[in-house]
Amino acid sequence: MSLGMLAAAGGGEGFEAPGQDIFWWPLFGTSGAFAVTRPALVLVISAVVIAVVLTLATRRLTVVPGKGQMLTEAGYGLVRNSIAREIIGSHDFLRFVPLLFTYFTLILLNNLFGVIPFFQYPTMGRIAFPLVLALVVFVIYHFLGIKRRGLGGYLASLIPPGLPGWIKPFVFFLELITYFITRPVTLALRLFGNMFAGHILLVLFITGGEYMLLHSHSLGLQILSIPTFGMGVVMTLFEILVEFLQAYIFTLLAALYIAGSLADEH
Amino acid sequence: MEGNIAILGYGLSAIGPGIGVGLIFAAYINGVARQPEARGMLQTIAFLGFALTEALAIFGLALSFVFR
Amino acid sequence: MQLVAPALAAAAEATTPGDPSVPILPHLGEMIFGIVVFAALYFYVAKKIVPRLEKVYAERRAAIEGNVEKAERAQAEAQAALEEYKAQLADARGEANRIREEARQQGAAILVEMREQAQAEAERITTSARATIEAERTQATAQLRAEVGRLATDLASRIVGESLHDSARQSGVVDRFLTDLERSENAGVTSR
Repeated sequence: MSLGMLAAAGGGEGFEAPGQDIFWWPLFGTSGAFAVTRPALVLVISAVVIAVVLTLATRRLTVVPGKGQMLTEAGYGLVRNSIAREIIGSHDFLRFVPLLFTYFTLILLNNLFGVIPFFQYPTMGRIAFPLVLALVVFVIYHFLGIKRRGLGGYLASLIPPGLPGWIKPFVFFLELITYFITRPVTLALRLFGNMFAGHILLVLFITGGEYMLLHSHSLGLQILSIPTFGMGVVMTLFEILVEFLQAYIFTLLAALYIAGSLADEH
Repeated sequence: MEGNIAILGYGLSAIGPGIGVGLIFAAYINGVARQPEARGMLQTIAFLGFALTEALAIFGLALSFVFR
Repeated sequence: MQLVAPALAAAAEATTPGDPSVPILPHLGEMIFGIVVFAALYFYVAKKIVPRLEKVYAERRAAIEGNVEKAERAQAEAQAALEEYKAQLADARGEANRIREEARQQGAAILVEMREQAQAEAERITTSARATIEAERTQATAQLRAEVGRLATDLASRIVGESLHDSARQSGVVDRFLTDLERSENAGVTSR
């Protein structure tokens, strides 16, 4: 375990630091490509919760909003006005608002599930889910670009205008890598990495503190467990911030990539 | 001591992007402070640059998982 | 590149998909789950939630626009009232000015008239005085002429009637004439 040495210093022998395996949690079928895993279940629950909450919150909408409606509209307004309209432009942003809103709510709730009791599993800490979400953006922005300019025109539009001729192949190659590899991979991995690392850190502090308190036989370590739990609480608050931020950034970047394919210039 | 040297590689790969992201947002804040009405345009550029810069750190993370 | 490819291949071979040891390799089942759930949620949101929220946005905008319109109308009314008031004020001011001007003109006219009247009066008085003086002068001249003629006749008859070489008598006649003349002059003065 890569984190073993960290924990070995603090917890003595016998403490197994949390590693990547805390994310592998098959529920039905022990292994294999089609095992139904815990994150899959959490994802389904999150989607159902989002659907139900949004349905209830928007059932009786009034011009002067109530409390629940205000909260819903705050989230919706953030996606609609600050992200979609600001970046895609007021001309055709409405087409993409449902997509971006789905991204935002789904990622936000699944991230928050990392700290909500009884779930405590950040779904996006499994690469499969962010990868799927990133692939959807990937397909959409390429589709939009090709539909707008044709395949040749789209590839030609990757090169920024006004460059000297000899540099164009290099820039084209770089842009090709950016558009086809860097963008989807980083979009997926950013979300994954943040959730994965944050969750491991949380689990490390909590299980480490628990081990020090209950399983070590030295008073010093038992006292040390208190700041460890304290750190766990602080990290939980920090995680909540990161979870919001990551949902926002993912949505923002998705909007940016879509806007890039819609814009007239490169 | 036992562990994985790839983690160190990730740490190293995070230095550059860390500085880069800091520079990008410093410039962004500067720009918005000087010209608040240009916020929308600057935000687009800043986040595109941020995404591109952070890509290096993320590649480092990915490779630290691959080479074990 | 020649490093990455074998490493990836080894990682892929060594583990079943979704195995925890390589967390950046996606688990196929989870990917399928993810895409299905995402698609389902997307269609639900796109078909139900967003239209509802957009409707509220449209309603709110309409309400705000309605309010704005109302406010604009009220403002226009107030503006019109203000204009009217100003116009009335200007009218009143104009009227006052006109009246004052008229009064001044009237006063001036009266003054001129009075002056003319006074001048005419003065003229009349002067004229009548002059006429009186003229008449008296004429009368006096006529009287004087008559007197001088009578006196000359007297003098001549006296001179012709007396002897010329009696100088004493002669001087006595002249003396008597002068005295007479003086006396008659005195009488003429007193008679006037």
